[in-house]
Amino acid sequence: MAERKSPTAVLREGPRALSDDQVREIEDSALPEVLNVDIDDVIEYVHKDLKSLPDFTTLYRKYLKQRWDVYDLDFSQDKIDWQEKMTEAERQSFIAVASGFHHGERQVEIELPVFMIGASEEEKLHIAAQIEDEARHTVFFDRFYREVVGLKGDDIMAVLDASFPWVSETFVAPFGLLAYQADELRLHPYDERARVRYGTTYFLWIEGVLALSVMKVTLSYARWRGFLPAYYTGFTATCRDESRHVQGGMRYLQDAVRKDPTMINEIHDTLRTILFVSGVVSRRIYYEPLGWTDDEVRALFFLQLRRKLNDVGIGLSPDLEDLLQKVQPVLAGG
Amino acid sequence: MPDFFSPSWAESVREAVTAGPSEQARADKLQEYWDFYELLKSMYPASWALGCRELACYLFVQWGGGTVTDCRIIGPDEPLKATYVLGMDYQDWKALHEGYDAQRTVMYRKIVLEEGDLLEFFKAVYFFVESLAVIGSVPAVYPETI
Repeated sequence: MAERKSPTAVLREGPRALSDDQVREIEDSALPEVLNVDIDDVIEYVHKDLKSLPDFTTLYRKYLKQRWDVYDLDFSQDKIDWQEKMTEAERQSFIAVASGFHHGERQVEIELPVFMIGASEEEKLHIAAQIEDEARHTVFFDRFYREVVGLKGDDIMAVLDASFPWVSETFVAPFGLLAYQADELRLHPYDERARVRYGTTYFLWIEGVLALSVMKVTLSYARWRGFLPAYYTGFTATCRDESRHVQGGMRYLQDAVRKDPTMINEIHDTLRTILFVSGVVSRRIYYEPLGWTDDEVRALFFLQLRRKLNDVGIGLSPDLEDLLQKVQPVLAGG
Repeated sequence: MPDFFSPSWAESVREAVTAGPSEQARADKLQEYWDFYELLKSMYPASWALGCRELACYLFVQWGGGTVTDCRIIGPDEPLKATYVLGMDYQDWKALHEGYDAQRTVMYRKIVLEEGDLLEFFKAVYFFVESLAVIGSVPAVYPETI
């Protein structure tokens, strides 16, 4: 972590071109080497294949190569950084942002299995791998909150209970919606329109926009300050996993719209609800201690959403464009 | 104190949800959040039927003009008609009353939408969650089991 670039530098630099060597470094790094990978490169890597999306078997094969062991991480230096080097303001901002992910990972882990039922056989492989990824990410945050933040609990839910006071009230909008959409799929697993609506919430909004934004905020802070090496390593590896999830999700949505162009209405209707409830926040999160302003976080959100929509070829109607201008950041993900 | 899911409890619910969250609950969240809540409340035209599965009964809440225009218990043999029908187990009603978080009651599917337009329902989800918390807080006798 020698480079100490400002967390928000990428907003001014814009999209970057990745060399073949950089792509190889991202794809092939074993867990200890992930510490040296730049998070901005990994986020760029998420978008690299969005224009020519890989098939599900390719994504599954990547998963087999990139799978990492969450129990290999050593959080002892992170604990020292947390207790002795970070300021109280930094800790409070960090935990306010990270708690949305702590709960988000659990949510996307348990809501995904039902989507597998109506999927093609190849996509089932990819989804099965993704469920395992999400379970591993849940353990990652459980370990971080126990071993670094110091929350206590007899089991995973007890630690989730302990971090819940930091979760914003607006968290229920994307994750409650996903839970209810999963219920809809449980009853009608082959309803393609319900699957597209679910996919819009899960893959486009939660993973493509919310998750990548929160990753960027906390990881660029850790890289900038040279703190929390195990968090940086595990969460950057998580981001690499997310690249497969986002690419698979965008592949699904793109295929669905190509097969039936009226499916765009399901995507728009879902975004209409999500954007409508995303225009408000219930509590103020202070990003400044992490090197960000509210406007920069909002710009990051827009950038993430625009790139997904543009690369996959999904346009927005004028009313959705209006709603988009009012969106406030909810830092959560999965 | 009224019994849970009794007519007098429904009357207490009507008064409580019309008044909305307490000052203490409001103090914990930003004014802009409550402004959005009030906006939704002022224009909300829909009704909820909130079921207790073990009782096969529903708490019916009709909204209009920013207030509750009808609030009553619908029994097992009465016709059920509401914009949104939701169901919950008795133990989860009791847990909500004892302070379990209303947001997680939705997110963890302790209460589920059984009928109604899902995307429309979620446009007012903050209003629903805050109202659910108020309903849970209404004093009532909750037996140990049903």
